[in-house]
Amino acid sequence: MHKVWAIIRREFVERVRTRWFWVSAILGPVLFAGIIVYQIVQSLGGGVRNITVVDGGTLGYGKKVVEALGASKTIRANAVNLVPGVLDSLKRSVEAKQLNGFLILDDSLPSDGKAEYRASNLSLQTIDELQRTLNRVVEKVRLEGKGVNPTVVDWAQALRVTLAQKKIARGEITTENAGQSFALAYVMAILLFMAILLYGVNVMSSVLEEKTTRIIEVLVSSLRPFQLMLGKVAGAGAVSFFQFVIWGVSARLLVALRVPIARLLGADPASAMDITLPHIPFATVAVFMAFFLGGFLLYSAMFAAVGAMSSNEQEARQAQQPVTYLLMISYLSIIGLTNDPASTFARTLSMVPFTSPIATPVRWTAGSMGMGELAVSLAMLLIGIVAITWVASRIYRVGILMTGKRPTMKELVRWVRA
Amino acid sequence: MSDPVVVDHVTKRFAGHTAVDSLSLTVPSGIIYGLLGPNGAGKTTTIRMLMDIYEPDEGSVRVLGTSAGGRAHSERIGYLPEERGLYPKMRVLDVLVFLAEAKGVPRRSARAKALDWLDRLGLGDWRLRKVSELSKGMQQKVQFISTVLHDPDLVILDEPFSGLDPVNSQVLQDTIVDYRRRGKTVLFSTHIMEHAEKLCDRLCIIARGRKLIDDSLTEVKRTHGGKHVIVVFDGSQGGAQQLFGDRRLVAKVQDFGQQAELELADGADPQEILRGLVNSGARLSRFELASPSLHKIFVDLVGPEAATAAAVPVGATDKVSSHA
Repeated sequence: MHKVWAIIRREFVERVRTRWFWVSAILGPVLFAGIIVYQIVQSLGGGVRNITVVDGGTLGYGKKVVEALGASKTIRANAVNLVPGVLDSLKRSVEAKQLNGFLILDDSLPSDGKAEYRASNLSLQTIDELQRTLNRVVEKVRLEGKGVNPTVVDWAQALRVTLAQKKIARGEITTENAGQSFALAYVMAILLFMAILLYGVNVMSSVLEEKTTRIIEVLVSSLRPFQLMLGKVAGAGAVSFFQFVIWGVSARLLVALRVPIARLLGADPASAMDITLPHIPFATVAVFMAFFLGGFLLYSAMFAAVGAMSSNEQEARQAQQPVTYLLMISYLSIIGLTNDPASTFARTLSMVPFTSPIATPVRWTAGSMGMGELAVSLAMLLIGIVAITWVASRIYRVGILMTGKRPTMKELVRWVRA
Repeated sequence: MSDPVVVDHVTKRFAGHTAVDSLSLTVPSGIIYGLLGPNGAGKTTTIRMLMDIYEPDEGSVRVLGTSAGGRAHSERIGYLPEERGLYPKMRVLDVLVFLAEAKGVPRRSARAKALDWLDRLGLGDWRLRKVSELSKGMQQKVQFISTVLHDPDLVILDEPFSGLDPVNSQVLQDTIVDYRRRGKTVLFSTHIMEHAEKLCDRLCIIARGRKLIDDSLTEVKRTHGGKHVIVVFDGSQGGAQQLFGDRRLVAKVQDFGQQAELELADGADPQEILRGLVNSGARLSRFELASPSLHKIFVDLVGPEAATAAAVPVGATDKVSSHA
């Protein structure tokens, strides 16, 4: 055990000492800080859009729309009449970034409900707000046309309904909203995919290094190949775990410091209070860690075997492709998974060991997975790990001492059987 | 103390050929043992089986008194493989400590010993440098330190002299001799006979996976050599020519006038020839039993075709013998 510990320690220390480890360790928090600063700057009014309303009619609907937009925090509007050449000059203004966009309407607005918005950036938020405002204006014009008292219309339109979103997950009502749980599941899936791929490939290149420098022969004379592979995988796993810890702690710190940061940027500290980390229940963290660990073990065993059967970087790059594709399946399914985590497709992915490390945490976070299914998924993953590690260690055992041409499929089968 | 290495009827086959064929050998404690053979004879395969890197297909290997191979005793064995390497990106001291730890040596003592050895071989100032910054000769020293750092009882070296510069070659020879002096056991393989001749107490010559000779160096030389006599006259030859003509004593004569080289007949005693020469009235300035070099014995044994394979590297890569 002492010997395996030495392997783990070397793998950990040497990886943590590299520049790349610290680049990515720092890049994570920097990105996160960027998001916080961006949100604060947004609240400062950096997100205000200037638009022009072009009225092609004579009934003054353009002015009404501008009036209605007057209450908006994010849109500042002015009205112009549709005179020849105005559309072209507005287009140029948009191109010159003096204007965000322009809205075109005419007198037929209340009768056929049609208007047009042209902009360089069709952000959902702006479209949504414009649409709501136009609806209200049309509503008001139409009601007033039928003789309803304008004050009554204003009174009726003054009330806005706020819809509180509560998610039912595993029989409990939680406070997180749909957007948050979607985002959380999405971020988790991406993190899992990247971590498994990155650190799996690390295991591969580490195996390859020992093989090409021939130091492997001294190592296998004092440790069994299986111990060596285990130590390597554990060491690389510990590095990625350490990386996660750095990210997690710095994210917490940044959120804790959001008020001073806002003050530093000259923003209203109260607005920064709205920035929160999504509340992540302990069970979700546990599922995430368990499946990350499982997925990492599964894939790095395969990557170790790939490293062992290759003689140089180029060969390894080719030989790793099937393994990477296997992981890509989960990656490409992330959108499908998050959109409908209860579908048969998602169910299947969360049962297959090669895809469950990503699919199961996503489904769990989305709340569409019960304890029973989770247990089956975990059991399947464990069986997968044992089987794959067994096969991989047989390939590793023979491969690390082989040089020369890459083994054929037939030879690989013989290595495993031997 | 039991024999540190016992190989008992071991056979190892690889796809298509038999690398080691029912080989048996025993390395007694406290000697330098040479495993000799041309390239492809099965030396490395045998050593790898000793170190548990390969499993024998048949037969068994006993290392340091137990039926287990070398891996179980890694903290008592110093193994230097033929293809040796280091982690190029690691610091010198870290590599040494790691390799010792992987053998089961506690970290603290590994560190102290590594520093001690680095100083001893003049690499003290390099301990915090990356391995890749070292010259090839320095890297060889580091590899060598990693082999002996834990003061092993048994040292197994596979072609240790190949690629060494003269200085390192001398360091290695000195250490090998020093180990024997301290009662430790050294087994090394080589295809360079000059090293074997200088260092080995006992040797085993193998070719095509089979053992040809396994004996002490003196015995090998006695049984396979000592058949030539060189005679140098000091003036009078007396009745020498008559004696040389005796086919019971002399099989072949090369007469150079004042000097003659005799190849003795089977079973002939050189002492009888000396007596005969003196009695015949010849005056001698020199009478020498010429033992053929180990190289000659080796070539005679393994056959010319295998010997060519062995002979080429002797001339091509052996920078050592001329300096050592």
